[in-house]
Amino acid sequence: MPEPKDTGSGGIGVYVCHCGTNIAGTVDVNALTEYAATLPGVTVARNYKYACSTPGQELIKRDIHELNLTRVVVAACSPCLHEKTFRNVTSEGGLNPYYFHMVNLREHDSWVHTDKKAATEKGKDLIRAAVRRVRLHRPLERKRVSIDPNVLIVGGGIAGIHAALTLANAGKHVYLVERDATIGGHMAMFDKTFPTLDCAACILTPKMTAVKSHPNITLWTLSEVTQVDGYVGNYKITVKRKPRYVLEDACVGCMECIDACVYKQAKVPDEFNMYLGKRKPIYIPFPQAVPQVVVIDRESCIEFKSGKCKKTCVEVCADRKAIDFQQQEKTETIDVGTIILATGFFTFNATRIPYYGYGTYPNVYTGLEVERLVNAAGPTSGEIILRDNRKPKAVGIVHCVGSRDENTNRYCSRVCCMYSLKLAHLIKEKTDAEVFNFYIDMRTPGKGFEEFYNRVAEEGTHFIRGRVADIYPDPAGDGHLLMCAEDTLMGTVRKIPVDMVVLSTGLEPQPDAQEVRRRFHLSCSGEGFFLERHPKLAPVSTFTDGIFLAGCCQGPKDIPDTVAQAGAAAAEALALIDIGYIEQEPYTAQVLEEVCSGCKTCIPLCPYQAISFVEEKKKAEINEVLCKGCGTCVASCPSGSIQQNLFEDEEIFEEVEGLLAYA
Amino acid sequence: MGTANHGVFSLPPPIDISLENLAEFPEGRRVLTCIQCGTCAGTCPYGELMQYPPRRIIGMLRAGELEKVFTSDSLLNCVACYACTAKCPRGIDLTGVLLPLVKEQVLLRLPEMPAELQRALENKLRYGNPMGESPRKRAAWVKTAGVPVRILHEDPRPVDVLWFVECYSSYYPRGQQCARATAKVFHALGVDFAILGNEEKCAGECGRLSWERGLYNTLMEYNMLVLGKYQFKLIVTSCPHAYDAFRYRYTALRFNYDLRHTIPFLTQYLDRLKPRLRRKVSYKVTYHDSCCLGRHSSVYEEPRMLLQAIPGGKLVEMTHNRVNTICCGGGGGGMWLDTYYKAKGYERLSERRVKEAVATGADVLAVACPYEISRFEDALKVLGYEKKMIVRDIVELLAEAMEV
Ligand SMILES: Cc1cc2nc3c(=O)[nH]c(=O)nc-3n(C[C@H](O)[C@H](O)[C@H](O)COP(=O)(O)OP(=O)(O)OC[C@H]3O[C@@H](n4cnc5c(N)ncnc54)[C@H](O)[C@@H]3O)c2cc1C
Ligand code: SF4
Ligand code: SF4
Repeated sequence: MPEPKDTGSGGIGVYVCHCGTNIAGTVDVNALTEYAATLPGVTVARNYKYACSTPGQELIKRDIHELNLTRVVVAACSPCLHEKTFRNVTSEGGLNPYYFHMVNLREHDSWVHTDKKAATEKGKDLIRAAVRRVRLHRPLERKRVSIDPNVLIVGGGIAGIHAALTLANAGKHVYLVERDATIGGHMAMFDKTFPTLDCAACILTPKMTAVKSHPNITLWTLSEVTQVDGYVGNYKITVKRKPRYVLEDACVGCMECIDACVYKQAKVPDEFNMYLGKRKPIYIPFPQAVPQVVVIDRESCIEFKSGKCKKTCVEVCADRKAIDFQQQEKTETIDVGTIILATGFFTFNATRIPYYGYGTYPNVYTGLEVERLVNAAGPTSGEIILRDNRKPKAVGIVHCVGSRDENTNRYCSRVCCMYSLKLAHLIKEKTDAEVFNFYIDMRTPGKGFEEFYNRVAEEGTHFIRGRVADIYPDPAGDGHLLMCAEDTLMGTVRKIPVDMVVLSTGLEPQPDAQEVRRRFHLSCSGEGFFLERHPKLAPVSTFTDGIFLAGCCQGPKDIPDTVAQAGAAAAEALALIDIGYIEQEPYTAQVLEEVCSGCKTCIPLCPYQAISFVEEKKKAEINEVLCKGCGTCVASCPSGSIQQNLFEDEEIFEEVEGLLAYA
Repeated sequence: MGTANHGVFSLPPPIDISLENLAEFPEGRRVLTCIQCGTCAGTCPYGELMQYPPRRIIGMLRAGELEKVFTSDSLLNCVACYACTAKCPRGIDLTGVLLPLVKEQVLLRLPEMPAELQRALENKLRYGNPMGESPRKRAAWVKTAGVPVRILHEDPRPVDVLWFVECYSSYYPRGQQCARATAKVFHALGVDFAILGNEEKCAGECGRLSWERGLYNTLMEYNMLVLGKYQFKLIVTSCPHAYDAFRYRYTALRFNYDLRHTIPFLTQYLDRLKPRLRRKVSYKVTYHDSCCLGRHSSVYEEPRMLLQAIPGGKLVEMTHNRVNTICCGGGGGGMWLDTYYKAKGYERLSERRVKEAVATGADVLAVACPYEISRFEDALKVLGYEKKMIVRDIVELLAEAMEV
């Protein structure tokens, strides 16, 4: 067995932590300490109940001073938890923080074994390996990267709006990029919001207007991010801005052009009204839209189709000259330091459950469609009139459509029970119809939610505990739909005749969530929502530094939770901006220029695009700031010309040899 | 995004699963996830009549009170139609796994087996067919087929397609008409095919679902041995029940032959078929999705493609179609429980089904399962609709349009 290289003066301190009984219960910490003391180069070995406690930390610092230690090894829990702590201790003791190495005695040893003797032997191997490697550690320095104070927010639903206003009020500049013609998202489509039945427009419109008028917010609608370059603190963003064919600065929002359009009648199915109403080729999605600027739809506009329109819109706009058929798509690039994604959700496509008859029977609606029907600004001015022009006398609401179902989505969409109750109330209020809510489990876990359920029950809504199994026209031929379900509390199968069915469809990721995920280097959870860094402790962070999540793009939630999360995301961004820099770990890789043959093998392999090829020198070069220290290039380099700090070849070999050497 | 692929079916269900050891199998642990939503009872064609629909069976299982379920004859109503399984939001394979286990116990405790069912099962064991016909007459129809039909034990050379004819097509007069039509269509398309003839025995699917474990295993083992004697590339069967048995059950005996039902098999020949569909027809046709072929194996589009290829025919849909089809009432032993149901005063499912078919205004009710022809023809007669509508197997309609 070759003797390890000596690192010169001074010695190594080894500290074995009991972690209460977490480690000491399975590993003989005294035996480990005694063993460590015998290893070449070790000056002192001690064990302590909680090495991470203040006295534990002091003990290490004192030893560094008094015994002139040059290296520190702590055998304790996972480096994820306390590597930082002990690096600081090493540094406060007067050594370079990277003259330290941590042994994971807990997750890698005591927690995964039951045989005390074998676990102790394994602990010895791990400590021996660490002692041999730590001697070769080199002093390293953390690099600071400055943070650009500008923030990009993608998606102008309530999440994006709230985050934008929070940051703007704190004095930061926000670029809010929304792909629709207006901000507001789904909330703008609702009439009332549960559980308080606040008028959605009354609480949302002031916030939308505030976004438009805020000096710190640049609002780009009809826009999408097409490229994301750079890294935390220094992102370079490319935004594609589609033409509106109306100049935002010139349009005063008088909407005279809409009246003047050569189309006397609105003929185009209206997206914002879930195609339940019609609009003209020149239109504004809804009266409170922000920006208050009309938009022209080239698909239906006669001027775009034939070039031969009388252009009555232009005539009436007169010297405001806001209409511009020549407007082109624009590309903008902006620099930002942090990003908040708030791209929201999409509702489940109800035709995927054919036995509910959506798309087959006209009087089967989705919850979102009914939101528009009950809305005073909606296609029927808030009156519930069915597709066959009748007013319903009996209405059935189906909970959990596209949720909690192995055949569609397994998860609970969290808001459908509550919005089903809300719709039951609104339908009853407006039509006095008999309303039947078919539910599996009533989920009302929020402030004031159960009380709301109580209220709707008192109003006389019928609750049937059973999942609807079939919906079909009554063969008796009186125009009713039969809703067939087992009333599980009664133990009988019921067939309820209704005039109208409301399917409370669940919340799904946006159809382009995967593309967006790739563009922003994020991960998605199994069902396709963006993945947070930690489900409990980092719910708005992502695995990409400087990118945060808010609202339903992270998972289904109601407006109160969305707003809370948007505030949290804004605060996380602010925390970075206010320090002004972040420190980067120095585990980066470098190319040894003399050895590099310029083969370019490494370049496409880097997941962070940190490697470039310098033509003049015909060598690869690694951008230290972009490098995350994953080691992919190091392993791939055929000539062995890439070295990574703290993972240099000798350090790794020394560790492996230490591990395999028999004591 | 298309429609959801409904139903989480175990393929094949574990052979040694029992009510005692459910939790040792993934399919069994699924049962424990039931949320008591009642979709199964709501969709079951006999849900209103069952004292213990699947939901309550699971409730009783959890409460340790299954004995009460065993001593009720409620589950005899189950026609193994897979409706509950297809819609169960927890993906519980009720029809494939749980219900047969419970039904087995119900049958064991019945004071008296319904005579008709008893006879059919005994016949299967003794004669290899539920009607009790002589096994030596199984291939008798071949003589009047009008085209040559090779029988393997007479001429055991390798063949492309082994056509598993099954009982109803072999013995029933209406079934034989289908068999002849199939032989003609195969012949006209130049398919190299042969049958097992008198060596063939019922594949046994309904035996299993009405739960006669011993009988079922005997038939499975027998048919596997016979199949093993010959060389062929593909098995084609006209019976969705045989198809179901091969696909989901015989696999446990290492059945790994390439397998097709006649309808998807013929759809592969659509290009060759189309120019030969010369005779123009003028009927309106509606198609009944069979439970085994449709719901259990997701064959929904192929039968419709064939029907639409027939010039002049107009295809209309019934209210309940595809995954939402209603069973003809013949599955799970229901074929031999008509007398029993009648005594109890239940509506026959075949009658419920033809009412829907007639309501479409169609003149032809197209099917792809030999059980259905007799069931629906009978129901039409009982309801007095026999002038309004005729029942035809899709292959019969093709043969007619090809003028073979
Ligand atoms: C029928 C129904 C009724 C509801 N009722 C209530 C209620 O009464 N009370 C309640 O608390 N909650 C309710 N909810 C839940 C509520 O809708 C959500 O909590 C809320 O809308 C989430 O806001 P968000 O900003 O995360 O997403 P969204 O409202 O979906 O907003 C996302 C925004 O991002 C934009 N966007 C998406 N992708 C991109 C992209 N790539 N680039 C640029 N922009 C993009 C979208 O155009 C949209 O404007 C209801 C939900 C439904 C379906
Ligand atoms: S459908 Fe499935 S989950 Fe619902 S009660 Fe029946 S078995 Fe249980
Ligand atoms: S298989 Fe069909 S008949 Fe049997 S319980 Fe399920 S739905 Fe009812």
